[in-house]
Amino acid sequence: MCQNCRKRVPRLKIYQGRFDKLNKRTSGTMKHNSSNRRNFLKLGIAAGATALIAGGGSALSAIGEPENKETGEKIKLLTPDGKLVEVDKGHVCCQPAGNLEAREGLPNKKMVMVIDLAKCRNARKCLEGCQKMHFLPPQMEWIKFYLLRESEDQAPYWFPKPCLHCNNPPCVKVCPVGATFKRTDGIVLIDNDRCIGCKFCMAACPYSSRVFNWEEPKIPDAANPGKYSPETSTPPKVGTVSKCDFCPDMVRKGELPSCVTSCPNGVIYYGDKNEDSVTNGTDTVRFSEMLYARAAYRYMEELGTEPSVYYLPPVDRAFDYKEGFEGLSEEEIALYKKEARITE
Amino acid sequence: MNEEEKTQQNLIAFKPMLETMNKKGIAVIVFLLLVICFGLYCLYIQVADGHIVTGMRDNVVWGLYIVNFIFFIGISYAGALISGILHLLRVPWRTPIIRMAEVITVISTMIGPTYILLCIGRLDRLPNLILFGRIQSPIIWDVIAITTYLSGSIIFLYLAMIRDLAILRDNPVTVAKWRNPIYRFLSVRYKDTTKQKELLNLSTDLLSIVIIPLAILVHSVLAWIFGMTLRPGWHSTIFAPYFVVAAVYSGTGVLIMVMWVFRKIYHLESQITKIHFNYLGMIMIILGALYGYFTFSEYLTSWYGSIKWDMDVLYRLFSPDEYLLQFIFAAFLGVLVPIIIVTVPKFRNINSIAVAATIAVAAMWVKRYLIIIPTLESPLLPLHDLRPEYAQYSATWVEWGLTFAGIAMFILLFYLFSKFIPILPVVRTGEEKDYSRLRKIVFEKQMKQVIREKKKSDTVVTGLLILLLMSPFTSAFSQEGNELQTVLKLEYFHIDSTQKLTATLRSKESGKFSPVEGMEITFKYKKGDTETALGTASTNKKGKGSVEIPGEILTSGGDKGIYSFEATFAGKDKYPAASGETSIKPLRLEMSFNQQEADKVANLKAFELDASNNWVPVENLDIQFYVPRTFSLMNVGKSSFVNGLTSIEFPTSVPGNQLGYLTLLAKIEDNEQYGNVEVSGTINWGKPLPPANIIERGLGDTDAPLWMVYTLIVLLSLVWFHYMYVIFTVFRIRHLGKS
Repeated sequence: MCQNCRKRVPRLKIYQGRFDKLNKRTSGTMKHNSSNRRNFLKLGIAAGATALIAGGGSALSAIGEPENKETGEKIKLLTPDGKLVEVDKGHVCCQPAGNLEAREGLPNKKMVMVIDLAKCRNARKCLEGCQKMHFLPPQMEWIKFYLLRESEDQAPYWFPKPCLHCNNPPCVKVCPVGATFKRTDGIVLIDNDRCIGCKFCMAACPYSSRVFNWEEPKIPDAANPGKYSPETSTPPKVGTVSKCDFCPDMVRKGELPSCVTSCPNGVIYYGDKNEDSVTNGTDTVRFSEMLYARAAYRYMEELGTEPSVYYLPPVDRAFDYKEGFEGLSEEEIALYKKEARITE
Repeated sequence: MNEEEKTQQNLIAFKPMLETMNKKGIAVIVFLLLVICFGLYCLYIQVADGHIVTGMRDNVVWGLYIVNFIFFIGISYAGALISGILHLLRVPWRTPIIRMAEVITVISTMIGPTYILLCIGRLDRLPNLILFGRIQSPIIWDVIAITTYLSGSIIFLYLAMIRDLAILRDNPVTVAKWRNPIYRFLSVRYKDTTKQKELLNLSTDLLSIVIIPLAILVHSVLAWIFGMTLRPGWHSTIFAPYFVVAAVYSGTGVLIMVMWVFRKIYHLESQITKIHFNYLGMIMIILGALYGYFTFSEYLTSWYGSIKWDMDVLYRLFSPDEYLLQFIFAAFLGVLVPIIIVTVPKFRNINSIAVAATIAVAAMWVKRYLIIIPTLESPLLPLHDLRPEYAQYSATWVEWGLTFAGIAMFILLFYLFSKFIPILPVVRTGEEKDYSRLRKIVFEKQMKQVIREKKKSDTVVTGLLILLLMSPFTSAFSQEGNELQTVLKLEYFHIDSTQKLTATLRSKESGKFSPVEGMEITFKYKKGDTETALGTASTNKKGKGSVEIPGEILTSGGDKGIYSFEATFAGKDKYPAASGETSIKPLRLEMSFNQQEADKVANLKAFELDASNNWVPVENLDIQFYVPRTFSLMNVGKSSFVNGLTSIEFPTSVPGNQLGYLTLLAKIEDNEQYGNVEVSGTINWGKPLPPANIIERGLGDTDAPLWMVYTLIVLLSLVWFHYMYVIFTVFRIRHLGKS
């Protein structure tokens, strides 16, 4: 993010972070010296433009703060009134937002995830990717794996669970300082610079999605988490709460979160509900059609939390649940069997 | 005996309490200080090493600290309800015990919140509670309620002490004389004139009226911290009254224990009599019975309804391996034993009532443990964790150390207080007159004060925001291995009007491909034996490098209409040289949109360039249609060219931008003849995005719902208005004392 932009935002006014005011304030900060940036803005592309590339095969969003460096790579953007303009990728490809900007949400987006339980075999590659991307120690799991079985007559099935990014999030309601917040794009984030570590959100989350940094997080010297942003959730901070962040920093770049790309079976679909599209990296499908065709459901809908993560029921499964025990310790298998009441 | 004589008698009886300290007393103080010091050491460990030293983990996020917090706030009820209600009802036997009750309130309301601080991961960020406080959060309700309650309790205790302070001012102590100026200052020139008496009685009555609903509210708010979550065992509508009843129960118990202790150490047998124990014992068992009723109702309801999650908690409570013993103690013995002791005349004496009170208090502590821990150990999803300490809570020595330190602190403060002012009121008054009416309102003054306080705290906090900067450094991507190969893939792209060559350079090692960045690729156009250089490009992160093909080359006829290109990588460092080739036939795509009545159609034309440089229509070529989305292209259909023409129905149900503008992309990929050709067009036929729906006020939003804001303002101003009025009265008493 541009240093000039940062300075203009009165930090103490953060608590007045109403979205409309915030918008005015941040747009007021755009008058700085970068000529590239100014030219880019002259093209009439407000921060909220929907964008696309007509080449290379990948789309991109023109939102957030530009990096202000020429990459030589041109992309095409669609302005709100339907004009196509060509700009340098460096002007639109975004860095993760700062603590204040991160509260806003990506304009016109509503991020959703669809998890196809029929294809999951507990390979845990999504967790590995996630931990690598967020510099997490092996015990810290932002995606948890359950072997669910509703009753003894029913079949066990694997159930990967990231943060469900509820639309009516119990965790956000109870936060005393607004350190965790719901954005306009549906993502629930944590500002680890503001979190006081009271753990009320952890007690309030019915899905056990949140984890606490009980001790000073150890990040290997070679790894470089960069500057802190609520959008990357890195570097983690001791005495604060963290969880799956739906990778808004990746969305800014038009790239998929690591869990989606590391899944060998294409279980996890991610996308924008407003675009009516989700993708698992290889397949891109209509979100509404997928939910309809596969009779998707949201976990524990009866709690009224309205999750943004949808599950496709585990029917016509690609794997037997037993294949999910591969690579697990005896102890863990026993624990899973106990939870799922499997006696054999 | 008139009132004055009684007072003199009391003074003679109580003064030794302030002026003597026996060896036992000193030993107790030293012991308590040692326990507190150990607690401080525990605190140091916890701050230095992080919360990992406690037994709290991701599932059981709260432990002994919260148990103690509820417990101490619970016993603070002794003062508020017991002394408030007894005072208002003018119960004649209340006088000797009323101060003890009030001191319990003040001390426990100070110690209780300390435990919530111990629970907080980042104490350095406490100012955030004021800076960013959201009144939607029950924690903020708690912060507001407890500070208000503590202030009220301190004022209430002080009002009840003014008469005694005046007596002590008139009869100075002879030991530790430094206390005398304090008595003089605090007694606010109280001379027991009629006017002063009237004012004092009025404000005491007023405050006892305020403090009772406030106390109920404080404990309800505490219950709501748990009740507002969607957790089994917590999410219950009776939680607030349940907590209130349990709190008064334990508060009365602690009051009886305190009475018993002071009766012993200060030999107050003539003052605190069996009547006091009997009456308080009765109050205690009534509350105990009420608590038992709530407990029964709570568990019967969840057992009868038998929702899976509720049953998980109940199984834990009823399982002999887990909490059965504690449950029997907290739910049965803790109620029945005190009731039996107090109701059966044979068992009822001062010592047995004190034992009953101790059992009740201990049961209430265990009850709080059973409220917090088993629920946290039963999350809605299975608690899947191989680490035993994550699955089951057991308090560590650090937590126990701080728990005992808190109890020691409570006893120490109480003991020291009893050395400062007699623990029993010295001045005995007849039944006071009812208060008359409220006087001037100092509302404006109060608001100014609040605003000033807020400003002050804002500036303090400014300096506390932490910015974590880590020096960025880049690590070069490198790969080692003996069998390193490089693969160069050359592709032709014709996108709208630009035509380019893209080379992808990848290294191959033990079957795994990875892109090579920062390498120079040379592009050439080949026709027979002649080569035309097209320039060079450096590969990016994905190993791709591109050059544009000049238009004149692609219309030069080629080799019988076929154009061949080559890309070469000369080899660098450990990466061996590689090259790639591709041959294409130029293809031109044209897209147009056509609307006939309701049908919205995208038409596509395709021509290929033949050897004689003429554009001729293409036959039997498959083409795919896409719309670009954030992460990828979404397929919306396919078709085949007939005589160079094809069309598809425009995907009008796919969302475009705010005005419905949607880009349609037609694409031929990896075609043997034509390479990659694509064309796109944009038109406002897509589904427009719904307008952004931003709700500004709500439980999950930045600002609270208005009713919440108004309720808070009304409640707070009501209470603080009374406080201000009482403080104002104290100043008036002081003013009246001048003349």
